[in-house]
Amino acid sequence: MAEYQNLFNQLQVRHAPDPGLPIADPENRLPDTGFSYWLGRIGDAQLGPVYLGWLGILSLITGGLSIIIMGLVMWASVGWDPVQFVRQLPWLAVEPPSPEWGLRIPPLNQGGWWILCGGLLTASILLWWTRMYTRARALGLGTHVAWSFAAAIWLYLVLGFIRPVIMGSWSEAVPFGIFPHLDWTAAFSIRYGNLFYNPFHMLSIAFLYGSALLFAMHAATILAVAKMGGDREVDQITDRGTAAERSQLFWRWTMGFNATMESIHRWAWWFAALTVITGGIGILLTGTAVDNWYLWGQKHGLIPQYPAVWEAPVVEPGELDAPHQGMSFLSAPEGTLVAGVALPDLGLPVSFADLTGSADLPLETEMGR
Amino acid sequence: MRRHALTFLAAGGLLLTTGCERPPVDAVQTGFRGVGLEHIANPRTVADSMASFAARVPTLAGQPPVDMEPAPPGTWENVQVLGHLSEGEFNRLMLAMTTWVAQETGQGCNYCHVIEDDGQVNFVSDDIYTKVVSRDMIRMTQEINANYASHVGEAGVNCWTCHMGQVLPPNYWFLQPDNTEAVSPYFVNQGPRQLERYYLDEPALRVISDDAALSGDSENTASIQDTEHAYWVMIQMSEDLGVNCTYCHTTARFGDWEQSSPERVTALRGIRMTRHLNTEYMVPLDGEWPDYRLGPLGDGPKIQCGTCHNGAWQPQYGVPASHGSGWPGLTVLGPAHPGTTQAPIEAPGTEPVSGRNQ
Repeated sequence: MAEYQNLFNQLQVRHAPDPGLPIADPENRLPDTGFSYWLGRIGDAQLGPVYLGWLGILSLITGGLSIIIMGLVMWASVGWDPVQFVRQLPWLAVEPPSPEWGLRIPPLNQGGWWILCGGLLTASILLWWTRMYTRARALGLGTHVAWSFAAAIWLYLVLGFIRPVIMGSWSEAVPFGIFPHLDWTAAFSIRYGNLFYNPFHMLSIAFLYGSALLFAMHAATILAVAKMGGDREVDQITDRGTAAERSQLFWRWTMGFNATMESIHRWAWWFAALTVITGGIGILLTGTAVDNWYLWGQKHGLIPQYPAVWEAPVVEPGELDAPHQGMSFLSAPEGTLVAGVALPDLGLPVSFADLTGSADLPLETEMGR
Repeated sequence: MRRHALTFLAAGGLLLTTGCERPPVDAVQTGFRGVGLEHIANPRTVADSMASFAARVPTLAGQPPVDMEPAPPGTWENVQVLGHLSEGEFNRLMLAMTTWVAQETGQGCNYCHVIEDDGQVNFVSDDIYTKVVSRDMIRMTQEINANYASHVGEAGVNCWTCHMGQVLPPNYWFLQPDNTEAVSPYFVNQGPRQLERYYLDEPALRVISDDAALSGDSENTASIQDTEHAYWVMIQMSEDLGVNCTYCHTTARFGDWEQSSPERVTALRGIRMTRHLNTEYMVPLDGEWPDYRLGPLGDGPKIQCGTCHNGAWQPQYGVPASHGSGWPGLTVLGPAHPGTTQAPIEAPGTEPVSGRNQ
């Protein structure tokens, strides 16, 4: 079979740019088109025509403003030093207001910038969603893309708006910044007793990893049968050819069950959407309904009882207690790394006795100089 | 073309590993299987660290004197916290301090004892800040060894434990100005941090509810920011001690004592000790320091875990040179020498202890 006969070939054909379907408002479509060899290596080589429209323009303006303000706030936080801005960028943040502000609007330099950036970014995202919805409609498509995007927006809004409002404090929201938002995630989990015991967090992770697995299984299956026409997978939904037959038999052979050419796409859509839908529910319940997910898990039998392994039970010491619970490290044999009762054997190349023995160095106090 | 791309990828890949540590890293299980209580350390870096401490260990002159009877009244003037020593032991301790603390200066006795115009050393005079600070530090060391054996053990500490021959131990901290000028109200990921919240004022590290699963039953008002501060202090402590979180905590539930290692008990006593020492010994010295020893807000240096630990889970990995036992001058709260012309220093707990008020 010649390579060009397969839809998945890497040949790039140059021709007059394809303007697409005739539409009712062609003035909103930017006339510029072009071709890119490198884009052609990973997708369609043709660029444009872009349909911008007023929704797109407003979305770019609000989103651009938000990003610019974030950048300026971060730059200001290093005293407008360009070198430090670049060096420390991963650690710089636009933080939400501190807890004492509740849901009030603080001055710009005490969290007001965060509200402004967040508002602009939210406006930008919602405008972009509307644009996805109306563009799909204009082409006569279903609105599946818009609704899966809406699922992601649900999680975004829960994190930055809905949950903080229910909790009565902007300080509960996520900061903007590369490491800061990751630190927030760690702190959030610790504060609310370990998010791993949140069942909706578990579901979200299952759907997230499931999405990756489905993506890999589907992509591999279709690539494997491309030479039999499996690349025309949408055709094969209604006109099942040998590619569909063989790929589906493959999965029945190996795991007894197969998705269909049609259903695999619904699986993928729901797995992706449910990742963020369940994730949003899990975040929404945290702090509003459940304050400590570990204790919640203990109450509901999620967590085993671990036996104590220490010689004496470990309990919080009182403010004034003195005894050392027999953990004096004087009793440890020479040459052992000592840390309380646990004497870890690190397999060190030298023993500490060797080190101290060889360290009989002359004293240089330089007294009398 | 392809070769260039591969070279580029390999170089890029290497760049991504620059933050990593060369293996091996050993994990020693210390808790019940599955809970992840582990002591994690790289034997190579630990051996290096041990060697660097061991290489500094000084040889001190002199043996403990046979006569340990307190020196007769009138032997000295203005000796306020070492009145229980014999003359020989007193001199041995003073000589040791010239190494423990003033080694790097090469000044010996004169780092703390002023030289008069006639060229004679005036051992009585408090006319130099280092002497006032030293007295406060001796009293502090005495209290650590006498009252905090639950943290420092029977071995105890001496000046070398933290100072290692330097007039300032390598790790200390100051109060930091509020970041009100900056646009962002506080930076969780870069200073100023509020160390004073943990090592000076309040025990505000507890951010996780330990009694209630449901929000309706919980009175925990700790914010995410409180948690981030606590997290940062813990990470700093981890660096100070050269250990991982799992040295003390089961990460499934950081706050649970039953699931923590006994080291956590020792560590909490250490935090409380640090708070006490800062309040009773470091802060009262604030008026004594010369300007060049002060922080941005005009306060003197204060201590944290790393001041003594210097990246080791036991200071200097327990080398005997860092022990206070064997130094009678440092193991009990010594009285003033009867011949002293000035009032004796107050015992801690009654009033803030400070040499400068005497």
